Amino acid sequence: MSITVKRIIIIAVIVVVAFVLGRLAVRAGMNLLLGGTLFGGDFL
Amino acid sequence: MSKKNKEKKVRAVPIGLGILIFVLAFGAGVVSKFAIKPSWSQKYAVTWSDEIGTLKSDLPYGEGEANKFDLYLPKDSTKEAYGLVIYLHAGGFTSGDKTDDKDTLAWLCSKGYVAAGINYTLRTDTNEASVLSQSNEIKAAVPKVIEAAETAGYHIDKMAMAGGSAGHALAMIYAYRDGKDAPVPVVFTYGAVGPSSFVAEDWGIFGIGLDTDESRQAGAGLFSVMSGKEIAPEEMKDSSYREKVHEIAAAEWVENNPIPTVVAYGACDKVQPFLASKRLEAALRESGVDYRYFVLEHSGHGLQNDSNISKLWMEAIDEYLAKYMPVK
Repeated sequence: MSITVKRIIIIAVIVVVAFVLGRLAVRAGMNLLLGGTLFGGDFL
Repeated sequence: MSKKNKEKKVRAVPIGLGILIFVLAFGAGVVSKFAIKPSWSQKYAVTWSDEIGTLKSDLPYGEGEANKFDLYLPKDSTKEAYGLVIYLHAGGFTSGDKTDDKDTLAWLCSKGYVAAGINYTLRTDTNEASVLSQSNEIKAAVPKVIEAAETAGYHIDKMAMAGGSAGHALAMIYAYRDGKDAPVPVVFTYGAVGPSSFVAEDWGIFGIGLDTDESRQAGAGLFSVMSGKEIAPEEMKDSSYREKVHEIAAAEWVENNPIPTVVAYGACDKVQPFLASKRLEAALRESGVDYRYFVLEHSGHGLQNDSNISKLWMEAIDEYLAKYMPVK
């Protein structure tokens, strides 16, 4: 695997994980204020 | 060149760049949660424009500073009669404004209804406003709203009461308690997360309903503020407080005016007790009401985690509006 392919894969993984965590963080914050579960219902 | 530097050189993504990408993507995730709304929801919120109709703002209905309403009149003024939908704003009885629901009111107006948003005196540290006084203000406002619509040339022959949270509570109180005295028949009520009953054991999320002095004190305090009547901790113990909160307990008035109803509640609600909505559901069922009761199992007061159920709830509202208040 070339260094470029490796780089793209790592960046893509970071982006996806961080994006999901960002959405989960908002959900967690909203749940704290309003009530709700962290998982279930809407995807993310 | 040292061995350490050689290792750094072969790293596919430098740590600094990785952290930067993580932070940016995390921020994008946060923003997307607020910015991206389900596509179905766009159908039920319309940006107001003169193409939809005429908006008359801040029409007075009483002496109080907050006693004002906005009237949304549809473009087509040639119909013989119109249905009126009143939508009351949220805000925990202490905040909010009729303009908060402008897109909802515009949507209703775009469907051909006369729509109105009514302000009511909000509870502050310096006034004695209560759910009871607010419900009485709404009762006083309705005839004025209808009068204003008639003056503008829109004859109202029936109406629906709706709202969100505190506004939903007030809408239900009017629909079930006062609906029979309305100038035109109240044929439908809808909304979400409005507290509909005040039975202490349902209000455990506020520490109320426990067999302790502290709990009874808390219950007496909260229910006194909401009912506008002085309730002593002893009355919480012997349940005599129930008489004092009766006037604001919409669920206890359903049989008085059992009209079609569509409601939604979050099972994890931290702001108003979900358990109280079970009493509403029981009252609707026992009174033979044509109703829909949606429970969003993963959501709280914002109905924020169950978009698929929210969609069904809005579709039911649309369906009931068409059924009980068809635009002729």
